[in-house]
Amino acid sequence: MNCFEARQDFKSFWRKELDAGRQQAFVAHLAGCPKCDGAFRIFALTAPVFHSDVEPARQELVARRGAASARGDGGAYRERRHAPVWLSIAASVALFITGASAAYFSVETPDETLSEAIHQPSQFAEVVSADFPEANSDFGQ
Amino acid sequence: MARLALARRFGWSAAVRPDEELIADALGGQTEAFSELSSRHRPRVERLCQRFFSDQEIARDLAQEAFLKAYAALSTYRAEMPFGAWLRAIVVNVCYDELRRRKRRPEELVGDFSEPELGWMQLVSTATPEELVAEAEERRESHDLAHKLLDSLKPEDRMVLVLKDSEDLGVAEIAEMMGWSEAKVKIRAFRARQVLRKQAERMMSAGRARVAR
Repeated sequence: MNCFEARQDFKSFWRKELDAGRQQAFVAHLAGCPKCDGAFRIFALTAPVFHSDVEPARQELVARRGAASARGDGGAYRERRHAPVWLSIAASVALFITGASAAYFSVETPDETLSEAIHQPSQFAEVVSADFPEANSDFGQ
Repeated sequence: MARLALARRFGWSAAVRPDEELIADALGGQTEAFSELSSRHRPRVERLCQRFFSDQEIARDLAQEAFLKAYAALSTYRAEMPFGAWLRAIVVNVCYDELRRRKRRPEELVGDFSEPELGWMQLVSTATPEELVAEAEERRESHDLAHKLLDSLKPEDRMVLVLKDSEDLGVAEIAEMMGWSEAKVKIRAFRARQVLRKQAERMMSAGRARVAR
């Protein structure tokens, strides 16, 4: 394999598309040719983006998955994030206080008690007594 | 449509309908046909966006934007070209616009490296070719570092390299897609490779200096 052929094969080698014989020749050429070896190493810096079909997950994700698996929940790590327990409790308490306050202040209490309402002279009586004073005498007032 | 709904409901395997049939249905107002079309092409579209942007959220958003544009322009699609190629041109333009909008400056790019990135750089200097291929698949930092390096290119240069090296497009296809002359594509590709090599060497020497400290 010459240098031109080796450089043509960079992509196929990275994508694992070379047959065994060609791959062996490729590796042997790189081992004996510092120029092609250097070019391949530069190629390797961008190849993960240009020539890979899947990007590996981020490290923290892998670590969380590993921790979940070590805890024994079958490694079935889910992407969902759970809120901490204290946050749930605080939210519940805040919600309860808000609801109770709203309920308390929204109820309208009557301005007068029942007995005051009964003993208050009606508007009708006031009108009658003002316009027809003689009527009051008929009712013995 | 009814066949598809039934297949979904009962888990039957619906026969794969050709893109052209789905496009005709979508143009007839059946939005579900376009949904099927987009879910068929989504993995490739997202992967292409990821070749331009390391942030997967951004890549997904751009893929979505490309599908919206494709839906809006669906009536202009002509069957002489495969739908995938037509869609790719839209995706490339969406990503190109985003790259230009961001306008990063080269000097801010080759700078700090994380410990895993330094580890990957060391591996690139010392490991055998087979080890490099195997390790790159496992290491997220190999992708992060590659994106850092590619971010140092101008949007036009990055575009040409992705289309030529990664998507395996010819000079004429790239020229047509970008609205450039073929000579411009060739010059861009040549210059982009030169810049990339220089930046890679700078990056490697910066990495070696960090490790030596």
